[in-house]
Amino acid sequence: MAEAATREFLHNLYELPHTVKDACFRLGKTPESEREESQATFHNLFLHIHSVRVHVRTLKPTLTFGLGLMATASFVITIITGVLLMVYYKPSTDLAYQSIKDIHFTVSTGRFIRNIHRWSAQLMVLVVLLHMARVFFTASYKKPREFNWLVGLGLLVITLALSFTGYLLPWDQLAYWAITIGSNIANSPREFTDAIGITKFFDPGGFQKRLLLGANYVGQDALIRFYVLHVFVLPLALVTLLGVHFWRIRKDGGLAKPEDPPGGLAEWGGERRPVFQPLATKTYGLMALVKGKRPPVNRGPENTVMSWPHLFWAELSVFMVTVAVTLILSFYYDAPLKELANAAIPENPAKAPWYFLGIQELVSYSAFTGGLLIPVIVVVGLALIPFLDRRPGGEGTWFGTNNERSVFWQSLFFACAVTVGMLAFTVNYGWLRNWFPNIHQLWIIAINPGSLLVAIFAAWSLFILKRKDAVRLSAVSLFTCFLVGFTLLTYFATVHRGPNWHFYWWPSQWPVH
Amino acid sequence: MKDPSRIYRWLLLVASVVTIVYLVGAAVRENYLAQWKTVQHEYRNILREKATDDRGRELLAKFRVEMKQASIPSLGTVDRCVTCHNGIDDPRMTDVPQPHRTHPGHILDKHPVDRFGCTVCHHGQGAALTFNEAKAEDVFWDYPLLPPEMTEATCVTCHDAEKLPPDQIPLLVTGMKLYQEKSCGSCHKLGGRGGTLGPALDNEGAKTKHQLIMTNLKPPHTTWNWQNAHFRDPGGVVPDSQMRNPTVTPREALALTVYMLSQWKRDVPESYLAPDKIEQKYRALHSTPLTGEQVYQQYCAACHGNGTYSRWDKKFNRFVPAIRGVSLTSTASREYLQANIEQGRPGTQMPAWGPHAGGLLPEEITGVIEYLRAGAPTAPATTALTLPGDASKGLSLFLRNCAGCHGMNGRGGLAPEIGNPVFQRAATDEFIIRTIRNGRIGTAMPAFQRPEAPALGDQDIADVLAYLRTLGEQKGQKAMAQNATSSAPSGGRP
Repeated sequence: MAEAATREFLHNLYELPHTVKDACFRLGKTPESEREESQATFHNLFLHIHSVRVHVRTLKPTLTFGLGLMATASFVITIITGVLLMVYYKPSTDLAYQSIKDIHFTVSTGRFIRNIHRWSAQLMVLVVLLHMARVFFTASYKKPREFNWLVGLGLLVITLALSFTGYLLPWDQLAYWAITIGSNIANSPREFTDAIGITKFFDPGGFQKRLLLGANYVGQDALIRFYVLHVFVLPLALVTLLGVHFWRIRKDGGLAKPEDPPGGLAEWGGERRPVFQPLATKTYGLMALVKGKRPPVNRGPENTVMSWPHLFWAELSVFMVTVAVTLILSFYYDAPLKELANAAIPENPAKAPWYFLGIQELVSYSAFTGGLLIPVIVVVGLALIPFLDRRPGGEGTWFGTNNERSVFWQSLFFACAVTVGMLAFTVNYGWLRNWFPNIHQLWIIAINPGSLLVAIFAAWSLFILKRKDAVRLSAVSLFTCFLVGFTLLTYFATVHRGPNWHFYWWPSQWPVH
Repeated sequence: MKDPSRIYRWLLLVASVVTIVYLVGAAVRENYLAQWKTVQHEYRNILREKATDDRGRELLAKFRVEMKQASIPSLGTVDRCVTCHNGIDDPRMTDVPQPHRTHPGHILDKHPVDRFGCTVCHHGQGAALTFNEAKAEDVFWDYPLLPPEMTEATCVTCHDAEKLPPDQIPLLVTGMKLYQEKSCGSCHKLGGRGGTLGPALDNEGAKTKHQLIMTNLKPPHTTWNWQNAHFRDPGGVVPDSQMRNPTVTPREALALTVYMLSQWKRDVPESYLAPDKIEQKYRALHSTPLTGEQVYQQYCAACHGNGTYSRWDKKFNRFVPAIRGVSLTSTASREYLQANIEQGRPGTQMPAWGPHAGGLLPEEITGVIEYLRAGAPTAPATTALTLPGDASKGLSLFLRNCAGCHGMNGRGGLAPEIGNPVFQRAATDEFIIRTIRNGRIGTAMPAFQRPEAPALGDQDIADVLAYLRTLGEQKGQKAMAQNATSSAPSGGRP
């Protein structure tokens, strides 16, 4: 008996590599049949959020340009590099700057890792914004995806907050003054409460600023708050919401796509194909079902291909493209790091992170309107889109309804003209305060280039609503105006605003300081 | 059916290749191509050549290619300069090229690198590992590497410059001397003493380039270039500067630059201070008074010149009065001079020099008054004017005779402001009357009662005096209140 057990033990030992491999890779081989392919998807924790079959339209590169995945990929990159940076970073005003310098100079490839973290974070902000535009222009927020649009909006806000909180951590001049500007934006309701003289009793601006900084100035309390938010609270919130976002995509039937014609032949990829593809073997059971208008009961899935491997090739390639882009950026461009933060030497101009520069431009007209009112209007407006535009149509197609493309172009030109005109006027002629030095501040809060832009854009979208008689077109016009305004104001404040927030054609013309 | 994921597989291949190339590239660049590694390999070759005796062979055997640093927590520095400057304390390395060479002089004997580091004397970014970043002129760093000839500016962090051998700090010594000779203290405060027309210079050396106006300066935009250019032409560097051109030679400008760079109240642990530095700090609290002449030279001469003649000042756009002129010192009382020196002359560029303002000690003010009055005849008694004056007549006389220079209401113009409270309080009737009668020799103030051509009679002068006193009343009320707050004792010097 003992001999048998010994033999068995030795045999097990001999078989160990195989049994461990089989335990880890339960299929044990590359899936060969569609059944095995669906199992590969379905039995894997990380893959099973996907359905096992996916519509061919979903794989068309120009439908999404992979933007959502790119945002996710850059988030994963920041998480990985962020953890590495956390090992060396010390969140104290005395040590933070030196620890970044050490990461830069002595940590093996530390400079490269910090560059990757910085650029992928910037890329994430950019891509999230583009992703939102994609979802809007393909009408992918429509029923049943309204909730996911809201979740996405939450993710946008968290993304901005993550980037903003990370901005302070190096504790250099750039960080210090950008956050000083940012916290002053948080303080902007005070312009209004001051104007009507109730700040003494009711001071939401001061409260917001103190909540953000933990003090009246940017110091150790602010640094530790931002650190905790940046490395724990916000990533956790983002991961959670991201889970919900993905879950909802699956539950809402995958990416938005137009209905296939029932039965017969479908136009796809320049050729006509049978939409019903009888399958040789057994069906996949419930796991192949995705939610749609017409659950494919008694019918084979239409125009779908197996997720394994097609969808995963696509996802993996988008991920690797993001990695490659980030690496190239990080190889050639160092993440900025200026002098040690010094409250006695103000940066001039002190600029917020680039994605807040549009807001900073508006704040330069009126803190309350630009820093609070307009951002709130924009976020609320974006949130309401799926609930105000409820007529189905155009889902999953760029500019899918009648006249959408022409309304887009008209709005684009209109908004460009209005924004450029408004900026040119303001730069050349000043505003109310220059003409009527003693005017009450309430007038400026109410009437300034920012509020006028919003009013003109709103009027334009109402005009489109009347004229084209379609809510979707009105929404398209307003969203386009918002995008143009955001882009132009950001560009303008980045390039054309110099010391004392004066206009310059180019940063090289700034007076040397 | 076309393969729907074909394009993605190509994309994946390309992206993966790019990723691998850049990852490997970055790893190679940061780990194998680092500048300091090349330098250390060179240095090892030098060591090998010089390993002719046991000591040399031991050094060669001990040498490792690795990052080296002097970490000095009490100074808050981590200096990695020695990663490239390997031979800094090896006396055999005098004939090899930089960065391997021995540190010049015998400084390191008393200032070992492991106790002092490098940047406490040389500035620059000690943490950096490439020359460009360590020099830090073109990167974001507050204190770039000082040029070798200016490094002496930092000796005074721990030493009293007067106790150091002058040949070791030639520029600093010249700079200190020039500061006194050029009477910089007339306008600038240093150590609590000096005028207020220019900025205080106590922490001038701590300034970064962002605190100086670089618009009119040719690059490189370093603080020392700014100081140097500014000493040669203040107005050319800072438009509308009130500073007078100090007319210095290039070497003197450099010396003053070094002196300015040395002005840095830097906190270093006491264990680093030389004993003479501690004595210097003690002396600063218990200063020995300067003589009257020294005070005049250091704190008055920039504006008043040698003091015997009024001079027209282009920057001030007015006359600076002669204060050693016979006519003033023979008429003005000691109290009048003391009040003017201690409290200044509001409305003019003359600041207050009392212990709580310009920082002169009471003995020094007495001394400088003695110096001003030296050789002047004691004032002869004047027949006091007892005539009652009529202020309204005085006004018309004032407008005709005085307002041209002294301004409407005595607010000052070419000539000093005589409506101001300090003047009104300090000037006795006798002083005013005598000045109007006899004028002020060496200034533009004419005599109004020359025997051959009396422009004003005694009654006229009495009227003008009465009018002048009304100015004092009008302005006095407001100014008194201000004075009460500004001249109140504030703790005082020990």
